[in-house]
Amino acid sequence: MSTDAAFELAGAVVQYGPVRALSGIDLTIRSGERVAIIGPSGAGKSSVIGLLNGTLMPSRGSVLVLGIDTAAASARRLRQVQSRLGTIHQQFDLVEQLRVVHNVNAGKLGRWPLWKAVLSLLRPRELHDARLALHRVGIGDKLYARTGDLSGGEQQRVAIARVLVQRPSAILADEPIASLDPARGRDIIGLMHEISQESGITLLVSLHDVEAALDRFERVVGLRRGRIAFDGPPHRIHSEQIEELYALESKQTGA
Amino acid sequence: MAQVQAKEQRDLPELSLREAAFPAARGGRSLTRRGWLVFAICATLAAVAAAGVGRHDLLKSQGVPQVQEFFAAALHPRLDREFLALTGRASLTTLAYAVLGTVLSLVIGLAAGVLSSQTWWQFGGRGRRRPGALFGWAATRVLLVVPRGIHEVVWGLLFLSIFGLQPIVAVLAIGIPFGAVTAKVFSEILDETAKASYSALITAGSPRPAAVLYGLLPVALSDLLSYSFYRFECAMRSAAVLGLVGAGGLGFELRLSLQALRYAEIWTLLYALVALSAAADLWSSAVRSRRRTPRRRASRGAGSPAGQRRDRVLTGSVALAVGLLGFSLWWVRPGISVLWARRTWELIGQLVTASRPRLGPAGLAGLLQSSAATLAMSMIAIVVAFLSGLLLTFPAANLSQPARTGARMARAARLVVVLATRGLLVLLRAIPAPVWALLFLFVLFPGILPGALALGVYTAGVLGRLMAETAENLDTRPLRALRAHGASGLQVFCYGIVPPTMPRFVAYGLYRWEVTIRETVVVGVVGAGGLGLVLDQQLASFDYGGAVTTLLALMALTVVVDFTSAAIRRSLR
Repeated sequence: MSTDAAFELAGAVVQYGPVRALSGIDLTIRSGERVAIIGPSGAGKSSVIGLLNGTLMPSRGSVLVLGIDTAAASARRLRQVQSRLGTIHQQFDLVEQLRVVHNVNAGKLGRWPLWKAVLSLLRPRELHDARLALHRVGIGDKLYARTGDLSGGEQQRVAIARVLVQRPSAILADEPIASLDPARGRDIIGLMHEISQESGITLLVSLHDVEAALDRFERVVGLRRGRIAFDGPPHRIHSEQIEELYALESKQTGA
Repeated sequence: MAQVQAKEQRDLPELSLREAAFPAARGGRSLTRRGWLVFAICATLAAVAAAGVGRHDLLKSQGVPQVQEFFAAALHPRLDREFLALTGRASLTTLAYAVLGTVLSLVIGLAAGVLSSQTWWQFGGRGRRRPGALFGWAATRVLLVVPRGIHEVVWGLLFLSIFGLQPIVAVLAIGIPFGAVTAKVFSEILDETAKASYSALITAGSPRPAAVLYGLLPVALSDLLSYSFYRFECAMRSAAVLGLVGAGGLGFELRLSLQALRYAEIWTLLYALVALSAAADLWSSAVRSRRRTPRRRASRGAGSPAGQRRDRVLTGSVALAVGLLGFSLWWVRPGISVLWARRTWELIGQLVTASRPRLGPAGLAGLLQSSAATLAMSMIAIVVAFLSGLLLTFPAANLSQPARTGARMARAARLVVVLATRGLLVLLRAIPAPVWALLFLFVLFPGILPGALALGVYTAGVLGRLMAETAENLDTRPLRALRAHGASGLQVFCYGIVPPTMPRFVAYGLYRWEVTIRETVVVGVVGAGGLGLVLDQQLASFDYGGAVTTLLALMALTVVVDFTSAAIRRSLR
């Protein structure tokens, strides 16, 4: 194992009551790597993301995030690690009632003292960073718009801008483009890619869109029924493997 | 009354038309219901017997002309300059108490509401649970039970005996119990709010207070604001009632004029009170109705102009509220320094040491008797309120009429009836229950009956409005179908209107019963009888041990009524 691993899963098992979401995952992601996770619904993609951002604890096995064992870390230590991870969700998880600038600044809450957070709601602080981030994601003119008034694609860009001001070591994105149309989805993936390349941020994206994964990422992990089906660069992955990954399980009920 | 009004607002039982229309489909339930009906009738008869109806001389014969005089004075209130100025000042004081009390309750409510929400303590997540989370959550919840369980008038009496006649008394007496109620409701609102953005912030390593500020409060803001204005509406009434027990403002002047039997003055003050609470009601419902308009989620995409329009009434209201706060502080100048004065703490110390619960000279039997009287008072009150509310509901409800029935004259007559009954309902609920009690005490000897009638008359006004709204919101399609089958107006009423509305009416009645048992203390304090009267006497004679015992008895009664009411409501569902 290289010492610069951003994430390390070793024999990670996640069990929800009788349901086993992940059954023994070994996965190492080096820092600066750009990885896509693909697989059918219920394969365990979200569980992997949850383990990696510390919202989910493994039932068995170990999870190292930026060198910290999440299950053993103190709450304070865990939060420090989390503030270095930018997570982007399918539903954006923005506060629609707030103006865009506040949603972007929310990325800094981990570093800001409370008084600063309060004052910023009245008069936005560190405006320069927020403006820069919004420019980077291509919606520089929306600084003071109400977030709820933006389109889906624009909201996803706000979510990315929020992660940008957070200046994370890694970005985790859980099906970030599932609620966007294909063209806009590709745009967003492209954007995240550029950002990752520019500043050497590790990028891990779970995707439904196989094409997007094979086109843009140097490493693709296939997940099926809580296990890793394949893991490698796109040119080494065969179309049969993809078909197998998404094959319906006629003998089994429920996915 | 505050507690349960809040409850009423938030979780009215949802009885579908279907369930209401086919009760017989579930035989067991209907039997239970019949059992409760028999129980209710017997209990009411027992209560009426306990009130002494038919046994004692209840009517003061010399009081009848007084009441006539009183109502005759309604047409010529005292309107000279001097008294109008006094009324104006008293109104401003009452307004200021309501504003300051509401602000205090919101500060308490927001802090305690966040601290007693499950979201704050991170329940139910799959991640790691914070150590001691359950304990912290339970502790804050339990801490709020006591201030919520004690009526604001009792708080008022308590603070009066500590601080004397100071503005801070009314502010604290409203702020503390209302704060506890608000905390409960706020915590429920926060827990019902979508938490995706909040947990996203937590995931990104943000500390909890900042995450609440950025991810939770903005999402819940409109709900919180709406409830805050409702609280203000309640605080207005409480401020007036607190005046009656001596805290100053309109209620205080009202009490003075009542004691001096200056009826013309009473009416001037009453009109001011009605105007004040009507204004608060109007403002509050204007703000709250903004929220009920459908959310603009659907019209996402092109920046909709609705975004700008939405804010005007709300921003204006918030600005007005801030202005009112400033004015209130300037007007009453609540002396906060009294809170940390040595004398205050000495008094509190004395109070605490003297308040070990103990029975008065009347003993346990006396306590039980007063408790029974209080229970009887609440039962007669709610039966009176329910029946008269029912009687007034249908004339007050502007039920949709078939398009071409009757001439224009008939419709005009109908409108007159609607307006007249509505006006009556407004009058009934605008006059606070203790004022009604003082009026009934002109003609009745102190005891269960004047208190019960006062509460009953006031509650009839509240229930009548709730019931009329229910009747108006009925699904009109079945009614149209009945008419299409050739049913007459009365037949439509019996077949289409009564069956679907009755279960809801009963549910409302039961909720109001829970409110009424808490309110008995208010009419008691002004002299009607029951535990409230006992409490007032104990506090006046500095018998704090006895007062604590009485308070405990009151709380026990409240719990009994809440459980009974909940059991009956379950059988309705």
